Formats: sequence, structure tokens, C-alpha cells
Amino acid sequence: MRIFHKKDGGIVQLIGKEQMQEWPVELPLVFIEYIRDKQLGTYGDSMVEKEISAYLDEILKDVAIPRLISVLGGDDQDEIILALKRIEELSKKNTEMARPIKPYLENLLKNINKNIVKLAQSITENFQKADRRKELAIKRGIMREKETQFLAGKINGEEYAKARREYLTLKD
Amino acid sequence: MAKKKVSQNWDFKATKNLLQEYLEKGSEKKEIKLPEDTIKIDDLNKKETLNRIYKLVDSVIAKIYATGRPTIELPSRSSSNIIWDEDNDLLLLGRQILEKQFHTLTSVADITRLMRVLEIVDELLVKDIHATKREIFYTDVKLFTDQKNSDKSIEDVASMLYTTRNATHIVAAPKGTCVGRLRIRDRNDIIDLEGLGSGGWTISPMLDNIEIIESDAEFILVIEKDAAMMRLAEARFWRKYPCILLTAQGVGNVAVRMFLKRLSKELNLPVFSLVDSDPYGHYIHSIYLRGSKRLSYESPFLATPNIKLLGVLTRDLDAYNIPNEVRLPMTKVDIKRTKDILNEDFVKQNKEWYDDLNLALKLKIKAEIQAFSSHGFEFLTDRYLPEKLSTGDWI
Repeated sequence: MRIFHKKDGGIVQLIGKEQMQEWPVELPLVFIEYIRDKQLGTYGDSMVEKEISAYLDEILKDVAIPRLISVLGGDDQDEIILALKRIEELSKKNTEMARPIKPYLENLLKNINKNIVKLAQSITENFQKADRRKELAIKRGIMREKETQFLAGKINGEEYAKARREYLTLKD
Repeated sequence: MAKKKVSQNWDFKATKNLLQEYLEKGSEKKEIKLPEDTIKIDDLNKKETLNRIYKLVDSVIAKIYATGRPTIELPSRSSSNIIWDEDNDLLLLGRQILEKQFHTLTSVADITRLMRVLEIVDELLVKDIHATKREIFYTDVKLFTDQKNSDKSIEDVASMLYTTRNATHIVAAPKGTCVGRLRIRDRNDIIDLEGLGSGGWTISPMLDNIEIIESDAEFILVIEKDAAMMRLAEARFWRKYPCILLTAQGVGNVAVRMFLKRLSKELNLPVFSLVDSDPYGHYIHSIYLRGSKRLSYESPFLATPNIKLLGVLTRDLDAYNIPNEVRLPMTKVDIKRTKDILNEDFVKQNKEWYDDLNLALKLKIKAEIQAFSSHGFEFLTDRYLPEKLSTGDWI
């Protein structure tokens, strides 16, 4: 275990990255996201949070990505399919967790194996949907701001209508 | 100490000091060196266990070809072959070897059962699945006739392969629960032991699928009783005092003891036990501490030699003004059991433990953990445990 020492004498222990080498290929990513999302904010020590965040980056760089590359860039089609199936599930639940594999999808879309192509397409679509959701959220924020400004008389009807049109086009 | 009027924030200092001591020692931790007159058991993975089975079967076949009278040798598990290793504080198996023969009427049933269990173990390992002891009995009721026989053969097979029972994929039925500041991996799932409600996580007997992945706990508390565990879980004790709580509802089975051992070894945290103040409670503590005689060949993988007896000590009953109405008189059986425990070498060598048991014998009283409820339901979580953990009043 990797030990992180808190100022109050307490500790946080995380599994060593060496032990993750035998994990299913997508699991290091799930672990990183899990600790970042659910645990990091609970330790109550900013220094430890920083150190753990750096350790999670280290896991991403040294274990998660190389393992994905070794499987997705390899020749074992069954292993690629298995990994892609897990990544597809992951991309549905939390797209950000699966994001590091995005650069490798282009090659997989050209693969001769139909199952691999199908899974790669599905993951790509999940990324596109997530990107669109993000964009829409940003536009929705802008739209709300424009509405407030329009109601306050700070912008004219034409400017408001233009923003509304852009928002609705994206929404469709 | 206990009599002062208290409504304070416990600093939990003694436990923190113990944790620091463990952390400092941690880096210089060495492998356990077993005495020469004891046998060494390995915790094997699937492939290694299969290899040992094949080697064993090969040697039996070789004996058949060479002599026509095959035998199997295995370490004796009789009490005369159980040794207390003072240095490591463990009960271990000595080097006495038993020979089981195929060609005698007395041992033919025994060895046939043994080989049948070996065959089942091979199947479990090849299929990468697990079975309970009860399931093993039902695979061949005619041969085993009674579960005692299949259970004995299961333990014989593990010791014959010089490995742990868990390595044979024969597991105990789930019994204990665990809750608190711990995150584990069970194959592809991450399980948060803080987020499972007050019921907690049922300790999986398939521990080869379990991995400890994160914890910010600073100590582990093993609780004898379900009711006490419920009290602590309801109070969310681990939120105020960063810990992992574990109960086996009585004597810990193999899975619970092995899981505790792994927690203690991998996280290197102080471990405490909270048991009834009676000979059975002290016996439960001793099983966690040194292992049981029956499974002495597995002790290095099951025992937690650094576990401290936090309570309930006989001396606590006066220190915390436990009323006479909730103190129970010892029965004849209690007195006999207490005397038996007092006769154990490992108790004789621990003066504080010996004195506390002697005090119980002198007063002829016992008490359950729940006796603290006579001071209010929160007394255990708000006063007794925090004070003991802060002052270091443990054995």
C-alpha cells in the first residue's frame, strides 16, 4: 500500500500501482475516477489531497494508459473485444473515465473485425453524445444569461432571438 | 481514570501513538521465521495448488508401480504435534508425519475419502469456482456418511498439500460482517464499506477475489457480538473515530480470521478486540491472537498476533461502575474454562491477561458487553470505547 500522512497524524492508504498490473484493463481507470470523485474530498487535508492527486496521475500514466494501449494495440482480437465491451459499458456510465482511449478509436474503426468496429463506433457515439451534452449545458447557461439580460432590457430582441436559435438548433 | 466526570472530546492519543509505532516499524518489517521443528505452509494461487496436486498424484502412481502398496503422508494434526511458537506468538504444527495406506482395512475408507476430496479440489480449481464444506459433503453422501468425515478430509487435503484451506477453493459459509473506512475490490467491482448501511459488507469467503484498495482508517475493532456491532454501526462510530469494524458473531470462521489477518498485514493498523467479560470472550480473543489448535497448520495465515484485548476486562466492571444487577455469576463450566485458559502458556506469559482472568476467578463474576447499557445506550460508543482508545487501557 502507498501511505499518505495527514497533518493530524492520520493516514490514507492506497493500493500500490504495481498490484494493478493484473487487474482487468479498464479497472485502473475506474479506480482513478472513483478516488477522485468519491474519496479525495473526504480526507480533510489539502496537502494529502494534492499528493494523492499526483499519485492518481502517476497511475494513469504508468498503468492505466499503457495497459489499454497494450491491449487495444495488440493482435489478440478476443482480448480487444473483451476490453472494448468493458470500455463501452464504462463510457455509458461515465464517459470521462473512458476518455483516455479516444486517440486509439480511429485505428480500431478501420479494423477488419466487424465486432471491433461496432464496439469502437458505439464508444465513439457515446463520446459524441457526452460532448454534445456538455456543449448543450454550456449553451443552456448562456441562454439563461441572455434571458436575464433580455428581461432586464440589457440586450435587444434580435440578439436574444439569435442566441435562442443557436440553442434550439443544437438541442435538435 | 474512569471515575472522573467526563463530557469531553477524546484525543484517542494512545491509539495514535500505537499507529505511529507500527508505521515506523512497518518499513523494517520482516518475514516470519518459523522454528525448525514446525512445518511451513504456503498460501498458494490456483496454478500452484494444481501443481502440488499433480506432483502428489504422480508420487502415488510412482509408488503403485514400484511397490504396489501406495501410501500418502501428511502432517499429524493431533494435539501432541501442536507447538506454541513463543517468538511469533503462534500455534503451529510440528513435524510429526502420518502415513495413510491404501491396503489396510482401517485406513481404506479414510484414504478413499481423502482422494475423493482431492479430486473435487482439482475440479474446483480447474473450473475456478468455490464450494462450501456442506456442498462437499453432498457431492458424495454415501462415501462421507457424515459431514464430520468430509470436513476432516478437507483439512487433511489442505495440510497434505502444505497449503491453506482457502487455496483449495473450499470455503466456509459467509458469516461475519465488516463496515467502516475501507474500500475493496471484488473482481470488477469497487465496494465502499462506508456506504452499505448499518448492515455492512458480508465478508466473502472467496477471499482470493478480494483486494484492499483504499482506507483512511487508523485502527481496526473486532467485536464479538452482533448487538454491539449494531450499536456501533448505528452510531456511525467510524465517522468520529477513523476505524474499520468487524464482527464474526462469535468465534471467527476461517474467512473472517483470514480477512482480519489481511487487513492487519496490508494496512499495518492497530487491531483491538471487544468481547464479553467471560471465558468464552477470552477464548474468542485467543483464537484471533494465536489461531485455533484444530487449524494450527494455517495459523500464520489466520492469526493476528498484534491484536490487543481492549475489553471488556474484569477490572473494567469496577472502573466503570457496572451495577451488580448486570454482573452475572460464573457457572461451574465458566470456572473450569477460565482455569483451562489460565493454564495456557501464552496466557501465563502475559501478566496483565493472567491477572485479569485471575480476578474474574476470584470474584466469580462475568459480564456481557451489553452491561454498559445500564449507563445508557450511548455509553459504549460515547464513553467506554473512546476512553479506552485514548488512555491505552488494553491488554
